[in-house]
Amino acid sequence: MTQRTKPKPGAKDAKGKTTLWWIVGGVVGLGLIVALAASIATEPEVDESIGYGDPTVEGEPLPVYAAGTQDVALGLTAPTVSGADWEGNPVTIEPNGNAKIILFLAHWCPHCQNEVPVVQDWVDAGNLPEDVELISVVTSTDRSRTNWPPQDWLEEEGWTSPSVMDDQIGTVAANYGMAGTPFYVVLDGENVNLGRVSGEIGVDGLNALAALAQSG
Amino acid sequence: MSAQTILFFNNFFAILTVVALVGAVGLLIFRVVRGPEAATLLGSKAVWLAWVVALVATIGSLMYSELFHYVPCRLCWFQRIAMYPLAVVLLVGALRREVAVKFYAIPIALIGLVISIYHNVLQFFPSLEGTSCDPLVPCSARSIEMFGFMDLPFMAGAGFIVIAVLLAFYTKAPE
Repeated sequence: MTQRTKPKPGAKDAKGKTTLWWIVGGVVGLGLIVALAASIATEPEVDESIGYGDPTVEGEPLPVYAAGTQDVALGLTAPTVSGADWEGNPVTIEPNGNAKIILFLAHWCPHCQNEVPVVQDWVDAGNLPEDVELISVVTSTDRSRTNWPPQDWLEEEGWTSPSVMDDQIGTVAANYGMAGTPFYVVLDGENVNLGRVSGEIGVDGLNALAALAQSG
Repeated sequence: MSAQTILFFNNFFAILTVVALVGAVGLLIFRVVRGPEAATLLGSKAVWLAWVVALVATIGSLMYSELFHYVPCRLCWFQRIAMYPLAVVLLVGALRREVAVKFYAIPIALIGLVISIYHNVLQFFPSLEGTSCDPLVPCSARSIEMFGFMDLPFMAGAGFIVIAVLLAFYTKAPE
């Protein structure tokens, strides 16, 4: 039978002291982290209102887009949108006789972040036909997400196309049946939907959309 | 909740993550340098520290969803499924002084770590998920970006690493 060894005198005190030091060390360490976190948590100097717009939408909404199936909204007239860009300049999506490619973008979406420079390079290379308008809709805007505010991102990318700032609930996106970003809608001069596609499409896809727009 | 408050907690958890990761790496180096005797460095405190990590991660995760209204994505939920039970299991193991708790907790932490790693990879290579973002809660989109690379799945992954390392050091303190 084994005999239980008696704890050495003072061993309990030493253990208690060690535990106390751990607790004190933990509290001090936590305090330092809190102080450091507070010292670098400065309020970003951004006007919250400029991330959103207040567009008006008139007309019947398009059904929600479903990837991989025949677009049930083909041939339907897309709603007219009257809005503004982040500087307050009016931007409209209306039946004005010009074919249009509408591109819906979300600032936090990594696929949009990949696609924007591709689209801008494509435009800069003169690939956008003169009789086709490219209009972006800045949507799904969320201040708590990364890459805020969207206009800073687009300006950094040298974005030159007119942009409509969607509102906080994504009214324009909902009316165009957006199911994911980036999201393209091709309209003819009377705002009739010629085709919709979601996702990164690259240069080949952009050329195809431009050809589709011109065919309308 | 003001933007500054959220920013404070982003900073807080980010710094905590770095400190905890550095600590875990330090422990591993200590173990390599000192050999098997290093395993007794923390004794039973290791399980209490691991529990604190799991508790802070659980509270932090609930703060982000319930107070800051960040909606957890699918992979975030899988990581929560791994982390939340650890906060309970490790407490019971610590109170009962059962070294065997590490044999239950380490596998859970490692499963959580694998999911965290995949989630981080997805954020760096979003094309793995597809070519478009779910407008509500895509796994590939970052919720926050601290120090240019750290998002919530990175913090969760660090938590799982630290828990696993601490539990590897968990030995019963001599009576």
